[in-house]
Amino acid sequence: MQHKRHCLSPLGLPGIQPVVLELLALRAASARWGEKTEEVTARKEEKELEAGKIIDQEKSEPSLICPPPRRRNYLPPEDVQSCLESHVQEIFGPSPPGNWLQTPLNENRLKYRLLAQLAAELGHAVPNSQLHLMRIAEDVLNFYRTPVKDVSKFDELCAAELPPNLKIVWQQ
Amino acid sequence: MTGRGSPSRFLAAVLHNGVGRYVRQLQRLQLLFSPTAADARGARQFVEEEALDFARRHPDVVLYVSPCTGLAPRLLAEYLNGTVREELIASKTSEEIMQLATKLAGQSGLDIIRIRKPFHTDNPSVQGQWHPLTNKPSVLNVRGPCLQPQ
Repeated sequence: MQHKRHCLSPLGLPGIQPVVLELLALRAASARWGEKTEEVTARKEEKELEAGKIIDQEKSEPSLICPPPRRRNYLPPEDVQSCLESHVQEIFGPSPPGNWLQTPLNENRLKYRLLAQLAAELGHAVPNSQLHLMRIAEDVLNFYRTPVKDVSKFDELCAAELPPNLKIVWQQ
Repeated sequence: MTGRGSPSRFLAAVLHNGVGRYVRQLQRLQLLFSPTAADARGARQFVEEEALDFARRHPDVVLYVSPCTGLAPRLLAEYLNGTVREELIASKTSEEIMQLATKLAGQSGLDIIRIRKPFHTDNPSVQGQWHPLTNKPSVLNVRGPCLQPQ
């Protein structure tokens, strides 16, 4: 029963806590396995929940206010290219003029330094899934040129100018 | 099954629509879909990409987009004569939904049943319907048809 904690629920229902799903699964299983196992595992669940609550309280004592959620908005500033060029020159050394875009990012340490500095400066980091795509400086430039917005399509549509005969009934 | 078993109607336009000006018979289209279900993917794509174009091209139809969790995606079309047509759009692509919406916008609200004749006219005859005494001397009306007198 322990391994269930780390894998996704088979139903994949969004918005339901995994602990609740576990309890539901346990209740379903109890019909097959008998009452005793349900009680024992239910008691174990309660103990772990209490332990979790205590740990949370200890961690939250220093700051009781929840920090604001991180915004994923990113608008590329106009001097992205020059900024990137200066960083590349600084880290990789001087390269032939006009060809700095093609500098390969083979050395992992230098690549990390470059990407970390850019992330700290522009406030937008390359996600882990796209790290392997950053092979030359041009890839990094293209990544930092694409704007990112975190508005869902429906909200964007509602905010945009609609013709008078299109009504969006959004119950939120 | 013969035509007698199922209902039928004559070909007609609603209130002679088109003789003078043309009034679109579709009053409103309601798009009901779920924002998370898998079979409503085409509906969501339609709303994101093509609903605006559709609304601009058909300014006399009101398009209501209502996302609602937990129901099968459907398109409700209401016509000026009160007919409501419901079409299921589960697992349909955005283009198919667009074609369906255009088709519904072109229909009138009359029932979709067998049409008895593919033609209809209010004035079937201009000079008068032919009968056997048309173009014959009118004295036949008096003495009736008979052989030539000797």
